[in-house]
Amino acid sequence: MPKSNVLNKVVGYQEAVKAKEELAKTGSDFTDQKWATARTIAKLHPKRLTLEVSEIIDETETTKTFRFVSTNGFLPPFQAGQYINLFVTIDGVETARPYAVSSSPLQREYYDVTVKRVAEGFVSHYLLDRLEVGQQLHSTGPMGTFYHNPVFHGQDLVFLAGGSGIAPAMSMIKDVLERKLPYQFHFIYASSYVDDVIFVGALRALALKYENFKLTEVISRPPEGYDGRTGHLNSEMITELVGDLSHKMFYICGPTPFNEYCQSQLWELNVEPRFIRIEANGPPKYPNQMKDWPESVGVEDEITVTVQGKGNFRAKVGEPLLNSLERNGYQAENACRSGECSLCRVKLISGEVFNPPEAHLRKSDKQFGWIHSCVAFPTEDIEIML
Amino acid sequence: MKQYDAIVIGAGNAGLTAATALQRGGSKTLLLERHNIPGGCATSFVRGEYEFEVALHQLSGLGTEDRPFIMRKIFKDLGVMDKVEFVQENELYRIVVTDEIDTTLPASWSGLRRKLQADFPSESENLARFMKLCETITLESFMMLPRARKANDEATLVATCPNYIKYGMRSSKDVLDEFFDDEKLKTILAAYWCYIGVPPKDIPFPDLASMIYAYAAFKPWHIKGGSQALSSALLESFMEAGGEVRFNCGAKKILTNGDVVRAVVTEEDVEISCSAVVSNASSIITYNELLDHDQPPIAVREDFKSRRMGTSAFVLYMGLDCTPEELGVTAASNFICTTQDENLVYEGMQSMDELHAGMLTCYNFDDPSFAPEGKSIVTLVNLQYGDLWKDIPEADYAQTKYDFAEKLLDLIAQTFPKIRDHIEELEVATPLTMMRYLNTPDGAIYGFKQNPQDSELFRDRIESISGLYLAGCWNNMGGFQPTYMAGESTARAVLKKLKTERKECEYA
Repeated sequence: MPKSNVLNKVVGYQEAVKAKEELAKTGSDFTDQKWATARTIAKLHPKRLTLEVSEIIDETETTKTFRFVSTNGFLPPFQAGQYINLFVTIDGVETARPYAVSSSPLQREYYDVTVKRVAEGFVSHYLLDRLEVGQQLHSTGPMGTFYHNPVFHGQDLVFLAGGSGIAPAMSMIKDVLERKLPYQFHFIYASSYVDDVIFVGALRALALKYENFKLTEVISRPPEGYDGRTGHLNSEMITELVGDLSHKMFYICGPTPFNEYCQSQLWELNVEPRFIRIEANGPPKYPNQMKDWPESVGVEDEITVTVQGKGNFRAKVGEPLLNSLERNGYQAENACRSGECSLCRVKLISGEVFNPPEAHLRKSDKQFGWIHSCVAFPTEDIEIML
Repeated sequence: MKQYDAIVIGAGNAGLTAATALQRGGSKTLLLERHNIPGGCATSFVRGEYEFEVALHQLSGLGTEDRPFIMRKIFKDLGVMDKVEFVQENELYRIVVTDEIDTTLPASWSGLRRKLQADFPSESENLARFMKLCETITLESFMMLPRARKANDEATLVATCPNYIKYGMRSSKDVLDEFFDDEKLKTILAAYWCYIGVPPKDIPFPDLASMIYAYAAFKPWHIKGGSQALSSALLESFMEAGGEVRFNCGAKKILTNGDVVRAVVTEEDVEISCSAVVSNASSIITYNELLDHDQPPIAVREDFKSRRMGTSAFVLYMGLDCTPEELGVTAASNFICTTQDENLVYEGMQSMDELHAGMLTCYNFDDPSFAPEGKSIVTLVNLQYGDLWKDIPEADYAQTKYDFAEKLLDLIAQTFPKIRDHIEELEVATPLTMMRYLNTPDGAIYGFKQNPQDSELFRDRIESISGLYLAGCWNNMGGFQPTYMAGESTARAVLKKLKTERKECEYA
């Protein structure tokens, strides 16, 4: 400080300057912090993983488990129930799909991803038909909010799974049982057909071994002579299976119609929303059947999407914007592809899109025209900023 | 010809403000942001029906329409006043110290005096003198002191800053001890230290005085839609003025010719030339990692040596299926302590085992539209130093964060016993979460530790790299108002430099 500094007039200034000099004697110039922040974050939340298929396990006619190891040997921890978003390039189209990790979070040698064929799917066919051992893919780190939160989820857990919705449940079940957590875990597994039931052998063995784990299998389209439980997970069946509903936490994971049906049944039984956890499952397949869909617009109608400064293409109204962007060679960051994670947020400069309730937009997004492209349906010509 | 006059790295409060002021001031500006959304701390996230405010508790410096203060002018100049709506809080805060104190202060300068004089009649005259001092020292430090320093004129200082000369370098605790005997009154008046994370004995008195005065006289504010609404409004204003922004696109390097900035390299390895760079990243990362020098400039390293790492925060974001009334909330902002011993509270901020203080902010208390009908959004905060979290094995991290969340909930439940019965959504953010999203060393939320020596009064402006400017909390105070103001003043400095260079060009 120059001698003429007016602050010298302030009582205590000299002493404060001396205190600063003392601090400087024992302080660090922080050069040892170079890359320290990035390294700490990467241990928990790496932006990308490079995964290699180490094994492919046939589960059923329609389902395989892909075992992924990390090419650098490191996989971050995850909470049972979380997903990774797998990036794939299929015939020149770069896209991605989120898949729950089905293996136990207690080991990090590998992540298992269990994929069931989706009738009109794109990526599931690619993975099931073309992915081979040794092949490498990129993914996000583990993400998502569908997991047991011990602060408020309690110890009495009921999981309603439909079809491939079993994947996150498998990880949660292994977590609870392997850690010997003092939880009751009732797993109710609804499948259409008996030969569609994934992991059933392993589950039955666990149910025999652990007192705190209960398995109920329900088949909606049983073969003749089937003597197991059949039907749909309606309110009567839930009451019969679960008994006292109070203070139980319900996890629901399956195809969207299954999720919505289970939720409606729990609501009918007066289960409060704070006891219901639902995993998001992709964009709505029939947006035109939803509330507030503009009547004059059909899902097969064609519109033009203009990407500011980059080009334009034609797309169908019924196709989520993120998918049509990818098919036309544009990239947007994404992960959940169900409206929740907000990573695929883009700015709508002009035109209208239909935002279903799945789009967990912020209040100010609506004011300033930001949309979640993974669940946005352009209902007229639009221009966006990428 | 440079591609841009200025490139702003990071769309936090200071970066957004700087970018908007630069573009509106006629500079061609590019804003780079590594995340997909503007705001940095000033953001929100959605879980179920709830949109959670991440960081803003009480916005200061706005003033009312009738009695505007500096932020109203700054926001107007940035073109956002017609894009956001502010909601005034009626209370300063409620402070609870177990078995000792439970009082709520009004957000009114005269009301505050009346309330405290009624509660502490024996301190009545001292309170009147103390509050007068808070008011005058605030005005002196913000208005007169900068003038006297600029002129470097002792006579001006003596004539215009008599209170600053006497009290400006003293600690808050020291001054409270001088004015008052009643320990409870001192605790009540010092409560805002819980926002700063440095105990009253280490907070320069003008800092505490101006917090009390500014919040009480110019009111604490919320923003409709949360601080994200203001961040998005700033971005909108920036873009309307012709500014360009790239999201999911961090800066990788700041390139120089010797000691003069020439370009920025993005994460995607694209080199973009520019005349000036405004870094909203931490100064540590800017100089250690972004700047293309082997070592930070010597002046920077010398400056860093007398700095200390600042506080981070542990936060619980909670969506509750009950109203604020059902929860027992009577003020938006609440400080909950188990003890009046500030040193003990401060030790707790540096420990994983002890916890002596927490805050609860209820966002829909003054603005019912903030939460779904019949529900509430509350945030629990414990300021905590981030180095505690860095060495936890990654496999133990989740359990550690839930264990600590239980501790904070236990503390808050002493005052709000029903809080555990209504949790519909809950997210836990630790110092590592702050580190992840803010990319700051130790997850620091206010930059370096705000001890007296951190003040710019003790620091020379570092101009080792021509054209490189830092905007944010790392060489200023942390918090919303200070970072918006830092962005605005940085933009002014850059505009001045660019103008001078243009003139030189013309004459060349």
